[in-house]
Amino acid sequence: MHASVSPRPPLEKEALVLEEHIVEVISDSGEGAQRCGQSLGAIAAKMGNGIWTTEIIPAEIQPPARSVAGASGIRIRIGSGPVTNGGDETDLVVAFNEQVLLGRVSAGELKPGATILLENSWREHRDPKVVASYLETVKMLKEGGFRLYELPLEAACSKLVTDPRRGKNMFVLGILCEIYSLDAKTAHDQVALTFGKKDAKVVKVNQGLVDAGRAWAAEHIDFKFRIPAPAVKEPLVVVNGNTALGLGVLASGMDICSMYPITPATSTSHYLSECFERVGGMVHQAEDEIAACAFAVGASYAGRCAVTITSGPGYSLKQEVIGLAVMTEIPLVVINVQRGGPSTGQPTKAEQSDLLASTYGSHGDAPKVVMAASGIEDCFYSVITARKIAETFNTVVVLLSDASLATAQQPFPRPKFSEDWMAPPIDQTPVPEGMKPYDWDPVTGIARRFVPGQPGGMHTLTGLAHDRASKVAYDATSNEEGLRHRSLKLAALQKTLKTPEVFGDRTGELLVIGWGSTKGTIEEAVARARKEGLAVSSMHMKYIQPMPSGIREILKGFERVMTVETAWSDLPEDELIDEDNRRYSPLALILRSRFVVDIDCWGQARGQPIKPGALLEVIRKKLQEPPR
Amino acid sequence: MDRATRFDAHFAFVATGRREAEGLEAADGLIPAAFAPYRDLARLRHDYPLVLTREPRGPGPVHSLSGLVDRVLRELAPKGMAGERLRKQALRLERDIRARAFHGQHGLLSELWEHAAAATGTHSGDNSEEVLRYTASALKLDGDTVACDAAMPARLIAHAWEEGHAARARAFRKLCDALCVRLADILRAAFIHSAAGMTAEALRASVGSPHGDEFDFAAMSRLVSRRAPRDELPAARRGRIESALATLRSQRFYPDPRAAEGEAASAYEFRFADCAAAAAAFRERLPAMVETVKAIAIAELETEGRYDPAHHDGFFEEFASHSLNAEDLALFPDYLVCIEPGRNADPANANLMEMLSSGLPVKVLVETGDALEEATLGSGHFAFGVRSTRLAMTATSLGGVFVLQAPGSNLYALRERIAAGLAHRGPTLFSVFAGSDEPAAGLAPYLTAAAAMQSRAFPSFSYDPHAGGNMAARFSFENNPQPEADWPCAALEYSDEQLQREVAHPAFTFADFALCDRRYAAHFARVPRDHWNLAMVPAADWLALAGDAAAQHVPYLLAVDADNVLHRVLVDTRLMQATSRCLTLWHRLQELGGIHNSHAERLLAREKAAWEAQRAAELEALKGSVPPERGKGEDEVAATAVPAAQVAAAAVPEAQPEPARDPAVAWIETARCPSCNECQLINDKLFLYNANKQAYIGDLKAGTYRQMVEAAESCQVSIIHPGKPWNANESGLEELLERARPFQ
Amino acid sequence: MTMPVTQCIIKLHEERHDLEDYQGGVPRWCSGCGDNAILTAVQRLCRDENLAPERTVFVSGIGCSSRFPHYMKTYGFHGLHGRAFPVAEGIKMARPELKVFVNTGDGDCCSIGAGHWIHAIRYNMDMVVILHDNHVYGLTKKQASPTSPIGFKSNTTPRGSYLEALNPLTVTLGVQNVSFVAQAVDWVPELLFDIINAAYHHKGFSFIRIIQRCPEFLPKVFEPWLADPAKTLILTHKDGLTLSPETARTYKNQLAHDPADIDRAREIASSEDPIPVGILYRNPDVPCYEEVRHAGAMRTAAQLRAGLDAELDRVTVWPRS
Repeated sequence: MHASVSPRPPLEKEALVLEEHIVEVISDSGEGAQRCGQSLGAIAAKMGNGIWTTEIIPAEIQPPARSVAGASGIRIRIGSGPVTNGGDETDLVVAFNEQVLLGRVSAGELKPGATILLENSWREHRDPKVVASYLETVKMLKEGGFRLYELPLEAACSKLVTDPRRGKNMFVLGILCEIYSLDAKTAHDQVALTFGKKDAKVVKVNQGLVDAGRAWAAEHIDFKFRIPAPAVKEPLVVVNGNTALGLGVLASGMDICSMYPITPATSTSHYLSECFERVGGMVHQAEDEIAACAFAVGASYAGRCAVTITSGPGYSLKQEVIGLAVMTEIPLVVINVQRGGPSTGQPTKAEQSDLLASTYGSHGDAPKVVMAASGIEDCFYSVITARKIAETFNTVVVLLSDASLATAQQPFPRPKFSEDWMAPPIDQTPVPEGMKPYDWDPVTGIARRFVPGQPGGMHTLTGLAHDRASKVAYDATSNEEGLRHRSLKLAALQKTLKTPEVFGDRTGELLVIGWGSTKGTIEEAVARARKEGLAVSSMHMKYIQPMPSGIREILKGFERVMTVETAWSDLPEDELIDEDNRRYSPLALILRSRFVVDIDCWGQARGQPIKPGALLEVIRKKLQEPPR
Repeated sequence: MDRATRFDAHFAFVATGRREAEGLEAADGLIPAAFAPYRDLARLRHDYPLVLTREPRGPGPVHSLSGLVDRVLRELAPKGMAGERLRKQALRLERDIRARAFHGQHGLLSELWEHAAAATGTHSGDNSEEVLRYTASALKLDGDTVACDAAMPARLIAHAWEEGHAARARAFRKLCDALCVRLADILRAAFIHSAAGMTAEALRASVGSPHGDEFDFAAMSRLVSRRAPRDELPAARRGRIESALATLRSQRFYPDPRAAEGEAASAYEFRFADCAAAAAAFRERLPAMVETVKAIAIAELETEGRYDPAHHDGFFEEFASHSLNAEDLALFPDYLVCIEPGRNADPANANLMEMLSSGLPVKVLVETGDALEEATLGSGHFAFGVRSTRLAMTATSLGGVFVLQAPGSNLYALRERIAAGLAHRGPTLFSVFAGSDEPAAGLAPYLTAAAAMQSRAFPSFSYDPHAGGNMAARFSFENNPQPEADWPCAALEYSDEQLQREVAHPAFTFADFALCDRRYAAHFARVPRDHWNLAMVPAADWLALAGDAAAQHVPYLLAVDADNVLHRVLVDTRLMQATSRCLTLWHRLQELGGIHNSHAERLLAREKAAWEAQRAAELEALKGSVPPERGKGEDEVAATAVPAAQVAAAAVPEAQPEPARDPAVAWIETARCPSCNECQLINDKLFLYNANKQAYIGDLKAGTYRQMVEAAESCQVSIIHPGKPWNANESGLEELLERARPFQ
Repeated sequence: MTMPVTQCIIKLHEERHDLEDYQGGVPRWCSGCGDNAILTAVQRLCRDENLAPERTVFVSGIGCSSRFPHYMKTYGFHGLHGRAFPVAEGIKMARPELKVFVNTGDGDCCSIGAGHWIHAIRYNMDMVVILHDNHVYGLTKKQASPTSPIGFKSNTTPRGSYLEALNPLTVTLGVQNVSFVAQAVDWVPELLFDIINAAYHHKGFSFIRIIQRCPEFLPKVFEPWLADPAKTLILTHKDGLTLSPETARTYKNQLAHDPADIDRAREIASSEDPIPVGILYRNPDVPCYEEVRHAGAMRTAAQLRAGLDAELDRVTVWPRS
């Protein structure tokens, strides 16, 4: 047994100063690895470190214990400066059993020679098969050149709690706090916050576990790190992307969110259900995705711009209703937290493959605004902006996020609420004589909406082709008039969009273009490449439809242009794939069609965020190719 | 001294009030025998002290200590010994608290409970202190403890009034806040849709802060405001809304508690010590009240989009105090006037009756400290003055006034009525006899008050003008003891010289009440036991005697001294006259309360006679026809004679016969027409629609018989009956008549 | 309206409307179509209740029935096939003060929108629902609908439809939370009006199935009922319908039925012939979803700021001082 009974003096060790480190905690689901990792991230953030946490979620709720597939955990990237993405492979991992660890190793998620802290209670397990598998793994890891430490978690925790399985995670938190020289007091506060809902006893016990873990590490772990951090200057909030979306809905002054449960979007609705009613809002769980969208359309029509939140399959189901909102010009915010597709695909995994469905979805010509949140903070503010656009241009705004942002945590400056964010009160003023419900402005296509309650505004709104008076009209003129003005509204919005900034020089050998959640990764990779002296820049697209002006000029400045998306595109090296049949990833396709320029694409659909290191490799290779 | 001279002496006293003859002594220190059991109130479990609580959603603002203790015991005390033990401890504690209150110790129930618990604990030396502390937690409420002293009525009623006031304030704020939000919303909506709401700055402010540099807001402003409807609030409407907002935000009846320091308008005071001040305040605030009602009305119309200048401007220009009705006033606080004992004669209260009769929303408490005040003409004449004991009676004649007269001792029992009086829309008068704190004959105010009611000197009743259409509904004769009797009688147990247990039932009369009051000592003379004689009759019975018989007897009361020894006390004529006058007033009250109502009794007698006569007649008739079988009692016979009750009419109206029709005249079963337009498409002059869009025959000349027949044929529900042609020259009539046959 | 003075002002100059004020475009239904009767009855209701046209919304799906809103001069929402219910629910949730009516057909409600229908009954939001049941798809030119009688020859069932007709009454009465179910027929206008009127005055989801003739595609089907009043069973009750002498004379086949009795209501509902007409079930005590969820709550910037700050406080990292 490693768990020492007699207290030893702490080992003599000098804390090694690091720029950044990536830590992973993995366990069977239900063992609280995620809670452990989130606490670690929060503590580091409070110390002033930049952090990015990424959850490792099994698809099943109760996967078999000690199984590769069942690995449930979290990665925390801790840096001395701001951190904008999950980073590369893991430097240090804590595993509660060898099986969940194996999954990570074989997936190549660990750096060569990474440090592994592994629960050792399996050595004494009554099932000889388990013991065998454990010993074999340990042997394999050692040979694999990993730096392996065995932890007596079970043994140590059973001294402090009746069910060690429940206590391990906090004990591990203590170990990690010791290893990364994190402040004890802050750790205690964090534990208090995490278990705040429960009674003081629970908090005490868990703080005890943290201290025990810290003490144990001091005695038995022969290394120690320190990731220096600037002091926190302004108040920061630490939330994940879905919570940020929820907070954004709150701040936007919308008061109806109608949804149907679906992964990974649902946690936003969970969050809203908790707090929305306190500010007079409500979350409506509809009978299905179609109803959820139609309910929102009804509410918006009645004067309160509503939001509906969903993911891939749900988004497909909403298309018909989205078309109705487009046709009737009812403002509507649709949030799509993308997941792996097609069909049911990979519910818990990250992918950016709904861009085309969002842009061109719904039958007929159905112009709508499509924007994508590029980070956690952006999730919050984008909802506010989306609502404003929807109501200013009487249009549907599709706001895209994805599974990688949904559960990722990153600190950002605490927002200061502004009353101007709030949706306008319902307009009940009488409609002046002679005004028509679709009084399209010839230039912008914007018409003023009449909502129920406005005297003199009575009309029947219809999904059929209609004229300015909202009367059903099948004649050619009326039909084209409607199409023209609904389309013009996008042009009007487009004229107000500024050209995106270029990250790096405005000219060079390669321009990398991305959208949504990949911003941090791309810019980190590009920055590293530029350090290596490569002439590469990047540009990030937030508004995909309409697309801001000035992009054409930017493209001209580079010899090669390539999009990077977490989505599938045919591999040129595949035997049958050539220029005539290659299917490009969504953004590349859109850019190629709009600018008639040869734009290449690279992407991954591995269910995980792209790693900056991997992208850096791609960039290096790309620059060796001759410009096309 | 022989019996005769003894009687003369007694009679002389009764007649003249002079107490010369030996054997007649002053009645000092004697109290009515009925009081014997009630000397130590503190030990007596009764409604007092009270606990005045402040829970908005509680079970009412007034509780009696004993009631609370009972409730706690119901909740906590288990069955069996343990429960018994707790019960004992709690009751001991209750007695302790009562005693503290009785001896003038005030404060929160929780505090008194604390002290008492400590005391009981140390006293009993067991765990009762903890037990009782724990018991306190089950009370779940707390408030001031108030004993039944002269100050109690004012505190009780003021407290109840405050609670009502608070409730109204909450309701008003709810309404007012909602309206303010909606009005502000109208302005904001107008702003956002106005050009001002579409400037670059406004647009920049309304997107997510970091997105400020993602847009060209100048361009956005230029584009979106191309068709920006101008600010569509007409100046007049904006003015109306803004001034309504201003009025609602600055009104001082119920200022916003959440308003920041300085912004908050200072609240009006609604409690006054005299009528003049209250009336003045009401008058002074009338304009503000009118403005507020106006603002609310305008706000409600505006927020509903129903304000129509053409009609409403004029209305609101005319709008003034006379436009307010009771319901509008009910939104505002009532004025509370508490007139201390003795101050109701004060000139400041001269306008009391006027104020009541003018229907102001005022709640007046008039306290009488003395139910036996001497008439201004002095020398032992009794007043029954309109300013005190008769005040309430007088107020009932004013019309819309809610009146409650009661002695302090009964206010808790009457708390529902007090609540009703406070809830009453319009003036309310509470006339209360509290008894005074300097105990006449060592009696606590509680007893004096109770005695005043017992003796009918200050009976209790209430009058609710809105309660119903007749006196029976409005007037209620609140818990007077034995209301149907002249005087209440209580069993009095005592033991005679031979220590034999005896029971008497002495009536408690006005004279008994007077006996409690030293000022009237001169009207009484104690008769030593050996001077008792048959000519002495209880005062109550003496009143019933006719002139001569009265002259043969002298009235006495039963009284006890400090050692509870029984005495007989003669009462002089002047007091007996007062007593009989009191009785007359009591009888009048009884009649209002529906007891021995002379009219009713007369009516009843007549009806009874009539009914019996009729019944007799019917019986005769029956006997004449069928002789009742053996064993068949008269009642059954009578039962058959009782006219049968009306049978409830059937739900379905019986089908009526078709109205006679001339088959030659075309007609339509209009009621069955489903408005399908078929006939109108054929000829919309021949066939017309009524207000419900159902068809009837219009102008025959406007159409042909052919059209009529075609319509009949095409009618979905075949309700058109073509009749005969009206134009013989029309072609093809034979064929048409043939086609028309099925529809005739 | 809380202030009595306001009420009296409104009464003072209340503008009354007549039928024409609620008449929108000219109906494009086939001549003789039963929808006309329903339109008339609804317009009568609006007039008699003096509904403010700007505060009344008619929501419909797709189909002949769903053109209804176009023929009203109120606000209207002619949406998607089968989706009238969720749209109407959104409207009612956002604006509980609006009077909401839903017009739907047998295809719209009982086929493509069946899922929403079942749940709409559960929500029990305060609206009047009119199911125009003509037993056929009319707008798409004669296909069998779920309520078509078995054996009905249509363009998709040339050899006669294969399945038993769905009975909307029994389905509705089978859902927990059902609060009002009635049946009317377009050819008894008086009762049609009385029933719509009763539905309007019921607080909750008031479901009326109106059996409606389609002279175009089902000319014969309803004739037996039109010809013989005895084939229509009128449900009467003091809490239900009471008949005028005229109607009582024509329709002698009457049955006393207490709308509070759901078991009896289910029995009666399942009768195809005679057709029951009247109020089958009413329960005023079923809570309305919009009230359970406190629809139309007051919102102020201050409240929102406070709420948001409270939420942010839970996740804020403050600078160390």
